[in-house]
Amino acid sequence: MRAIPTLKISISGVRGVIGESLTPALLTRFAQAFGTYVGAATIVIGKDPRTSGEMVKQAVIAGLLSSGCRVIDIGMCPVPTVQLLVRHHGAQGGIAITASHNPAEWNALKFINADGLFLNSGQAREMLDIYHQGEYTKVAGAEMREVEEFSEATDLHIQKILEELGPLPQREKRLRVVLDACNGAGSLVGPKLLEALGVEVVPINVTPNGLFPRQAEPVAENLGALSAAVKEHRADIGFAQDMDADRLAIVSEQGIPIGEDYTLLLATLYVLGKELGPVVANLSSTSVLHEIAKRFSCPVFLTRIGEVNVTEEMQKQDAVIGGEGNGGVIYPRINFARDSLTGMALILHLVAETGQTITELVNSLPSFSMVKEKLACPSDKIAAVLRMLRQEYSSSPLDLRDGVKVTLPAGWFLVRGSNTEPIIRVIAEADNETTAREIVAGVYKKVQACIGS
Amino acid sequence: MRGIVGETFTPEVAVGFSQAFGTYLDGGRILVCRDTRASGPMVRAAVISGLLAAGSEVIDLGISPTPSLQLAVKSLKADGGIAITAGHNPSQWNALKFVRGDGLYLNPTQAEELLDIFHQGEFAKATWDQIKPAIQHHDPIAHHIERLKSVFDIEAIRHRRLKVAVDCCNGACSRLIPLWLKELGCEVLAINDDPTAAFPHAPEPKPETMAQLSAVVKAGNADIGFAHDADGERLGIVTELGQPLSEELTFALATWIRLEQKTGTVVTNVSTTGAIEQIAAVYGGNVVRTQVGQTYISESMIELNGVLGGEGSGGVTVPEIHSTHDSAAAVGLILEGLARSGKPVSRFVHDLPRLTMLKHNLPVEPNRLYSVLQNFRVAIEREQLSYDLTDGIRVVLPQGWIHVRASNTESMIRIIVEAEQAKSAQNLLDWVRDRLNK
Repeated sequence: MRAIPTLKISISGVRGVIGESLTPALLTRFAQAFGTYVGAATIVIGKDPRTSGEMVKQAVIAGLLSSGCRVIDIGMCPVPTVQLLVRHHGAQGGIAITASHNPAEWNALKFINADGLFLNSGQAREMLDIYHQGEYTKVAGAEMREVEEFSEATDLHIQKILEELGPLPQREKRLRVVLDACNGAGSLVGPKLLEALGVEVVPINVTPNGLFPRQAEPVAENLGALSAAVKEHRADIGFAQDMDADRLAIVSEQGIPIGEDYTLLLATLYVLGKELGPVVANLSSTSVLHEIAKRFSCPVFLTRIGEVNVTEEMQKQDAVIGGEGNGGVIYPRINFARDSLTGMALILHLVAETGQTITELVNSLPSFSMVKEKLACPSDKIAAVLRMLRQEYSSSPLDLRDGVKVTLPAGWFLVRGSNTEPIIRVIAEADNETTAREIVAGVYKKVQACIGS
Repeated sequence: MRGIVGETFTPEVAVGFSQAFGTYLDGGRILVCRDTRASGPMVRAAVISGLLAAGSEVIDLGISPTPSLQLAVKSLKADGGIAITAGHNPSQWNALKFVRGDGLYLNPTQAEELLDIFHQGEFAKATWDQIKPAIQHHDPIAHHIERLKSVFDIEAIRHRRLKVAVDCCNGACSRLIPLWLKELGCEVLAINDDPTAAFPHAPEPKPETMAQLSAVVKAGNADIGFAHDADGERLGIVTELGQPLSEELTFALATWIRLEQKTGTVVTNVSTTGAIEQIAAVYGGNVVRTQVGQTYISESMIELNGVLGGEGSGGVTVPEIHSTHDSAAAVGLILEGLARSGKPVSRFVHDLPRLTMLKHNLPVEPNRLYSVLQNFRVAIEREQLSYDLTDGIRVVLPQGWIHVRASNTESMIRIIVEAEQAKSAQNLLDWVRDRLNK
């Protein structure tokens, strides 16, 4: 028996381990629930290159066809491509088969609505109610359809990006880019896009075989190979994608990972330079985003954490750019989705049009330091910890939409309980690392006292 | 495992049985084919996901006749196969047929083992580094035709330049049979050979479903017409005069043709026409009767080295190809007979023993099936008649024979009687019903 059950059914979808919890019967029921929820409609499905992808896909197809859906299978592709193709086909929904940055033994279903957005929490709850109720639409055999295969999805995605942003301006010397696709869903489309933009591409980890050459999260400690390749090839920039190609991290021309937070910052810098309008990000985004927006006199709206919260707010505010600090860039002219392909195109345009290096661009922004920590905390104490923080900091500006966010004279911190593990997450930002760590230490002390009491 | 799609036959059930089959075969290479039902793509997806989850390697044969899969199991060195087809059942049904490594269906003992695994619900689960990341594709038709060509006298048939009408019922035979007939040098008048279209009539070759084929035979002056079920097992025949034959006569005609060439043991089940014994008597063949169910015929064919197997539903087994029903093999055998003899098919039919068979189904509540049969047996014993219990109760009487058994698929008693005269057959049926109602 395993001590920790691996199945996780939540408003973000269903996630589990192959060979343990994520069985074809469970998957086909989820697909039936989704088919029942959207009502015998057109559904676009795509998958990342995990080894279990085909099994999961077939189980999903069986469930969708059984509930009367028309299924368009766009094959292996980034999650944002699935989101884009839902709108392209005028479909009523989509299912992306990917466990994003989870290790190779995991897989998951992510459910997408007719706008190409992930289901929001209310919609996800409605679908989960159908799943749990277990009464799915079953159409008669004669009404079932064949699966339609659509092989041009990623080409269409590239074309859309080129239409919106155009090729890079001509330079004396073409930009040289190293792309580390983590053998993920961006392995084929990533190099193709870069070539279409007119840069010289050095691809690494572009064999989409479901084997992870590195940890999938594009954070600094996982980008050693990319940094080395950037230096070796004297490249202008290094890009790292995660397994489902929604997040993007950047390595500078000096071979230094600049930190995921900078992806959205640089993209915002480029977009606002072209077009003024609101910027949307989540509560844990760096305050430098506000500084950039202020330069252009544009407002910033912060939302609860979760991609769909950002995209819904972007629709509401008619934002020109948005995203998350984890490397997720959302550019609504292409797609209401975190999209590493669009992110690469925006950053390359910035570099090509300003003529500045990544290091110069980073240095042009105010310096900041963000510290992210996990603190062990029994699940039943999380509520008490949050209550204590609200009381302790009641004289500071508080944002209580997602955990407790406290703005201090020297920076800010955000404390949230985890839904999945007995931990609380603390994020703090200040203009230097020492101050940021001091803020975390202060919070940690209060939390310890609270848990201990 | 069969059911109505949209009701009892859900994707979970198909997934579960496929996981059980993958577990039963301990991973291995498994072939999958389907007939042309609209629910086929759904069931196929469920089957493939279940097999992959259990660690199997899957080769998809697409829309193919079940016998093509059965031959491919051997040629592709597979460990088994799943044919997604409800055979002659109407289009709202679907089913999984499980094939072993030797190309035959699971026998009842093996099927029970599979069911135990299904009910136990503890399936083999491949981990991420064991699971097969993709499926392969293969077209089994060319190999099937090669095997057919190696068995029959192709030159003799080609020489006759027969004109053949076929009704593929828009089923899995839509590609194989016209190709096979062209290989045999026949002029082919094909109808309902569009696998993307719905069944134009019940996919069960019997006189009621052969009116359209009969019209084509007459209009086109064909030498013979062949009607196929959805998955290539059963065959119906229309004579050159446009007369649709009872499905009972397909096997009788095949037996005549086969024994004329090669005498030996013919294997059939207890409810097939007694004409088989009469034909065998002419040529000195021996008839062995098994329980109802194709697997019994297949296994007896192998055990007894039979020269032909078959049953009254129109299924014919030609053992040189494989020991399972195969309508393409039956087509080859019958055309070879026509070619060698030079006789029209109506002449063969004219010479066949003339018997009248009546079939009647008596609905009975599921919990009374056994006791109704038991009471019937007691009634027979009271009259001091001898009977055969191979499958249900079979009694030979002076005017003919009767066979009474419980259906495997529905809650009813199936009654079959056969006599030389229509009047005697009716009397036999009344005789059985009297005793069943007691």
